[in-house]
Amino acid sequence: MNLVLLAAAFPLLALPLRAEPASAQPVRVTTDSAEYCGILSERLALAPLAEAEPARSLAAEGRRLCQDGHVRTGVAKLRRALRAANPTH
Amino acid sequence: MGSGTLSGSGVIHVLRSAGLRFALLFAALFLLAGLAFSAVLWWGTAGALDRQTAAAIRADATALMERWHDGGRPALIEAIETRLAADVEDQTLYLLLDRDGTRLAGNLETPPAGGAPDPAWSSATLERDGEPSEARLFRVDLPNGSQLFVGRDVAEKQRLRALLTDALALSAAAAAFFAGLGAWVLRRALSQRLAPATQTAAAIASGDLSPRVPLTGQGDEFDRLGETMNTMLDRIATLMEGVRGVSDAIAHDLRTPIARARAKLEEALSGSPGDAAALRSAIEQGIADLDGVTRVFQAVLRIAEVEAGARRAAFATFDLTPVLEDAVDLYAPSAEARQIAFETEIALGLMMRGDRDLLLQAVANLLDNAVKFTPEGGSIRLVARRGARAIWVDIADAGPGLSDADRIRAGTRFFRTDSARTTPGSGLGLSLVRAVAVLHRGELHLADARPGETPRGLRATLRLPA
Amino acid sequence: MRILLVEDDVDVARFVKKGLQEAGHTTEHAPNGRDGLFMAASEPFDLLVLDRMLPGGVDGVRLVETLRSQGNKTPVLFLTAMTAVDERVRGLKAGGDDYLTKPFAFAELLARCEALGRRPASDAPTTRLRVADLELDLLSRTVTRAGKKIDVQPREFRLLEHLMRHAGQVVTRTMLLEKVWDYHFDPQTNVIDVHVSRLRQKLDKGHDRPLIHTVRNAGYMIRAEP
Repeated sequence: MNLVLLAAAFPLLALPLRAEPASAQPVRVTTDSAEYCGILSERLALAPLAEAEPARSLAAEGRRLCQDGHVRTGVAKLRRALRAANPTH
Repeated sequence: MGSGTLSGSGVIHVLRSAGLRFALLFAALFLLAGLAFSAVLWWGTAGALDRQTAAAIRADATALMERWHDGGRPALIEAIETRLAADVEDQTLYLLLDRDGTRLAGNLETPPAGGAPDPAWSSATLERDGEPSEARLFRVDLPNGSQLFVGRDVAEKQRLRALLTDALALSAAAAAFFAGLGAWVLRRALSQRLAPATQTAAAIASGDLSPRVPLTGQGDEFDRLGETMNTMLDRIATLMEGVRGVSDAIAHDLRTPIARARAKLEEALSGSPGDAAALRSAIEQGIADLDGVTRVFQAVLRIAEVEAGARRAAFATFDLTPVLEDAVDLYAPSAEARQIAFETEIALGLMMRGDRDLLLQAVANLLDNAVKFTPEGGSIRLVARRGARAIWVDIADAGPGLSDADRIRAGTRFFRTDSARTTPGSGLGLSLVRAVAVLHRGELHLADARPGETPRGLRATLRLPA
Repeated sequence: MRILLVEDDVDVARFVKKGLQEAGHTTEHAPNGRDGLFMAASEPFDLLVLDRMLPGGVDGVRLVETLRSQGNKTPVLFLTAMTAVDERVRGLKAGGDDYLTKPFAFAELLARCEALGRRPASDAPTTRLRVADLELDLLSRTVTRAGKKIDVQPREFRLLEHLMRHAGQVVTRTMLLEKVWDYHFDPQTNVIDVHVSRLRQKLDKGHDRPLIHTVRNAGYMIRAEP
């Protein structure tokens, strides 16, 4: 039946709602790098509660992940360690 | 309507079907509802995600600008770095460029290309540790020529958005399908429910008045349509019988008086030619006979007119009491002349809805009969009163009355009892009275005025709903 | 009277015209509605007798409507074969003054023509009617003959009034039934006769001159001469 074909055409309507103009050249995010792991470690050293738990083990894990190549997860761990190490929140 | 291609003329033909139009209307409404529902849901979910992101970005940008106002460039840079260090979700994106494009702070390597329609907002593809992602960015132009970009990584949100959009599009498609299905089912159901009526109408149009619309017993609108059609067909059949009846009556019962008149004239013609007086009187008799035939003819036509029911349209509200008094007044001297005692008991203000002229004639007919058949010295009694839902007019005389067999036949058109054959006037009186009663949705009831006695008398009772 | 007869049936027209001429009325004849309308509009007549159904586009009702819209007030008597009450009402509404169904007795036609043709003596409403020594006072509703009061019932009064308004003219039984009882059907028995004879007895008792006369095959007439 013609109506079935009409109905099948509906999902096509969704296309314009999904498509977003994407820029041609991807922009690199600089915080996804081993370098940034280092910057975070430096900041950690300055934090008051850096040597206390849970900050210390989070930081250690974070550094290890960065060295192993899992940069983004490492960065995330280090950020959490930084938050734990700063009492004002 | 089957499946298949719709040619131009085919479309027009199909649109003439009311059933299809109803079905399409239903389908369109259903679809519209479904689409509206989907649109609202989409706006509330996927749309909300977008708006949420934009709001967060703006708030962030505003806060950063405050820091810049308070502490200048160093404060801004510090704020950006602090935010980045605290971003556990790993979603925030910043970029601060000075007026010649030098990177001052932030985690974007290069600035994004401007977006359209609003150049402040842009979307960009990201490269994150080798993986692609997507960003939504907002640019603030600082008074000193620097540019601040604030954004969020929206890859996950985009995925969710896509999921929602697909789901809603699919549901819209399902709505369309069900709309189409519903329309088809509706149209079929309508055609089916209408089928008994249309089939019966077709059968009748081809000439046979006997079929009636079969009812399903559901008591719905289509059954009511069928019932109304059946009632109408019954009425048409009755009317046609009435017409046949009139022709029969005229043919059969008028032939006799016409034949009699003719015979008398022929007889006069064959008598002695010199007897002018005899011829003259024969001609006068011929005229009188013709007048009698005319009278019968007019009475038959009047009864037919009454039975056809068209007079009902001209009904008006009036008081029956003066009508009864007029009729009594008309026949009182005739009764008096034959020493018949005439008693009346007419209630006042008998308001009713009907045809005044016909009722006057009906009552006059009954009184005429009463006076005609009651012997000298007898009595006639007319009582008119209002009952619970009708007016009752009762006329009792002291004549020979009607035998049980005669009473049944009394409503038929040319009924006259054998004993009444010699009295003047045709027997149409009671037929007319009955027809008038029925026209007013009432009835004429005949019974003995004095049951068991001789003479038994006749009691004619008119019941007129009021 | 000058009468215009508009009738398409040749035999009926001849019969009516002859009868009316013999009764002393000048009668013109038109065979269809168009001619009838032309003649009625161009010459003065005292009465129009029209067949209801006429050929050629202008039927009786149309004719009367046209005449009335032109301001013509000549009385009109309709002749017709149509007996339905609605038809009668329709004809009267169109401007007709009286209605007679076919077949009719010529005496009936003549009586109605003469009743329609009589013009009122003056426009002032009469309060007294008089024939010979009989006097009818319409205000006090009393009847006196030679000064003596006669007791009559209301219906008898109206009957007498009608006869006296048409004194010297024939009033048929049908006319009396219509005007006095508003009864528009033809009774087979002689109900009216009984009423008239009772009235007659009341009027003529103790007087030597009968005033109400029976006109054979026609009806009744009240007049001074025997």
